Amino acid sequence: MPGVAGDVSSKGFWSRFLLPGGVWLLLLFVVPICLVLALSFGYTDDLGRAVYSFGLENYQDAFDPLYIPVLLRSIGFAVATAAFCLLLGYPIAYYIARYGGRRKHILIALLVIPFFVNYLVRTYAWVALLADEGLVNSALKDLGLTETGIQFVNTPYAVVGGLVYGYLVFMILPIYASLERMDGSLIEAGKDLFGTPSRVFMHVTLPQTKQGILAGCVLVFLPAVGDFVSAQLLGGPDTYMVGNLIQDQFFAASNWPFGSALTVVMMLFLSIWMLGYLRSAAREARDPVAAGGV
Amino acid sequence: MEQATVNETQPSPEGGNGEAIRLEGVTKRFGDFTAVDAIDLSIPRGEFFSLLGPSGCGKTTTLRMLAGFEVPSEGRILLEGEPVEDVPPYRRNVNMVFQSYALFGHLDVADNVAFGLKRRKVPKDEIGRRVDEALELVSLGSRAKSRPSELSGGQRQRVALARALVNRPAVLLLDEPLGALDLKLRRQMQVELKQIQREVGITFVYVTHDQEEALSMSDRIAVMSDGRIAQCGAPEEVYEHPNEEFVAGFIGISNMIEGVVEGPGSVKIGTGKRIQAPVPADCDAGDTVQLSVRPEKIAIDEEIEAGMIEMTGRVVSRIYHGVNTQITVELGQGAHLVALEQATYTASADDRWEEGMEVRVGWHPENCLVLR
Ligand SMILES: Nc1ncnc2c1ncn2[C@@H]1O[C@H](COP(=O)(O)OP(=O)(O)OP(=O)(O)O)[C@@H](O)[C@H]1O
Ligand SMILES: [Mg+2]
Repeated sequence: MPGVAGDVSSKGFWSRFLLPGGVWLLLLFVVPICLVLALSFGYTDDLGRAVYSFGLENYQDAFDPLYIPVLLRSIGFAVATAAFCLLLGYPIAYYIARYGGRRKHILIALLVIPFFVNYLVRTYAWVALLADEGLVNSALKDLGLTETGIQFVNTPYAVVGGLVYGYLVFMILPIYASLERMDGSLIEAGKDLFGTPSRVFMHVTLPQTKQGILAGCVLVFLPAVGDFVSAQLLGGPDTYMVGNLIQDQFFAASNWPFGSALTVVMMLFLSIWMLGYLRSAAREARDPVAAGGV
Repeated sequence: MEQATVNETQPSPEGGNGEAIRLEGVTKRFGDFTAVDAIDLSIPRGEFFSLLGPSGCGKTTTLRMLAGFEVPSEGRILLEGEPVEDVPPYRRNVNMVFQSYALFGHLDVADNVAFGLKRRKVPKDEIGRRVDEALELVSLGSRAKSRPSELSGGQRQRVALARALVNRPAVLLLDEPLGALDLKLRRQMQVELKQIQREVGITFVYVTHDQEEALSMSDRIAVMSDGRIAQCGAPEEVYEHPNEEFVAGFIGISNMIEGVVEGPGSVKIGTGKRIQAPVPADCDAGDTVQLSVRPEKIAIDEEIEAGMIEMTGRVVSRIYHGVNTQITVELGQGAHLVALEQATYTASADDRWEEGMEVRVGWHPENCLVLR
């Protein structure tokens, strides 16, 4: 943090500690990305090996209309995921921030702890629950509520459900933080100025927590677009997402160059969203007004 | 009067006698703790009424019950003759100026001020007109498009005031509205606030712990202590005739000398001296009382006039305040007197007395209060 520490000597001091992290990032992040980038212009030889080259064929293939439904589906699923996370997460964040009292931290911890379990493992748990012969269906059959069982897996609902479950906490935390920052007397001022609870929410609370909502949506949307776990485990051919397409190039199809090109396109696409968000966040930071009451 | 979801100020049959607020036995308990204890109050329309008291005495809680943010545990609150204990804040014809201002940072000044009118569905062109008027009233006409964060503390305070006043409430509630301002701005805003109140004629209920502020601005003051009202009256009345020791002590510095009533008009104090004092009729001989004399009513040495009660003592401290000097005189037996001596055009009060000096002090018997 040279900017905070200020003088020149402390800047030198901190630069030394920068080295390990810098090397780490360089070796394990920048180098692989460069490899992916380089590979994306290559091709596969007759033996199925990736060969570096300078062709644009992979990018032409990536924009093949064949893949448009896959891309649209991915975006659709991610938007739905962000929307459901918002609808589910906002009330939870609101309740904890406003009425959690002394138990706030415990409640937040209870929310976060399940997310320490690997996403893949958690999604497998969902498979066990929702499979045609899974726990939910056997329970329903035992209760006589259904003869044949209900098909959950292989449906878009299951895939979006898995995504929502996987990323919900990334929506709750930023919204919770923005609610915590908000001055409670603003809500009272809203009520005092003849706002019914719903109007105070619409005209005061919601705009005051806009940044938290935006951050939550970005944090959920970005990983959800590229996700392959949920669609792979809970979905079927009809729920094939971009993430699955890329994964298949690296494993099933063994077409690393094409997988790389898809990855690059995906990264660029997501970066646009990210930049949009960062710019809006920076604008808010410059103009602290919208961030809270005065 | 325009069509609105909430009734604006208008005479109601019961409130026709001009009563804006009436509290009957209003009590607020938080768990076992009684924050406000059986308060009775009646505030006429158009009055500048102050709630004055030390920290934690229940001023804010009382105000919040008037606003509707707290529900009284017991008692009745009548607003213009209508009981409102169960009416939510957004349906009460009162508005509040918050100590933290609580301005909406995502809205500009004009939209902040328009907030209440919009919620009440006042027609658009009327909103525009009233917002302009309100901003003119607080001399902020030129800052309508500013964000609250771009304003100074005093300007934010004015926006908060305009935002409340624009709704023309029956009662305006102000919770230490000047608390966050520096002394000079405070004095200036006190004058302005009082002027605005006269101009709009709205009932103000003003919470403060600054006795000077309460004395200079209010038509009437209620002095609160531990959740109850110790005394309620005009500023001169509360200052000159405090009815109990707490009030005398809280408003201005007051000298308290303990004594025992000897008979009508006579009190014997700790040093053994008998003092002539206006003992109230309901005091019997043998009752313990406090004699209270305002520091500015105490004369020292050559200032003593005929007819004064005189005592001797020793100067123990001397605090220079510029325009006056506060001199503490020990009378013996632990009894102290504080005197405020004005600097004159011939001498600064500071030079005239030294610590350790023997002095005579005196006061006119009518300036002495006997408190039980
Ligand atoms: N929500 C609450 N829960 C519990 N106790 C409360 C609550 N609100 C107020 N109190 C208590 O009630 C008492 C009166 O509080 P109040 O805020 O009315 O004091 P005040 O006179 O406004 O003081 P100050 O000048 O410091 O603002 C205090 O002792 C406070 O701790
Ligand atoms: Mg208070």
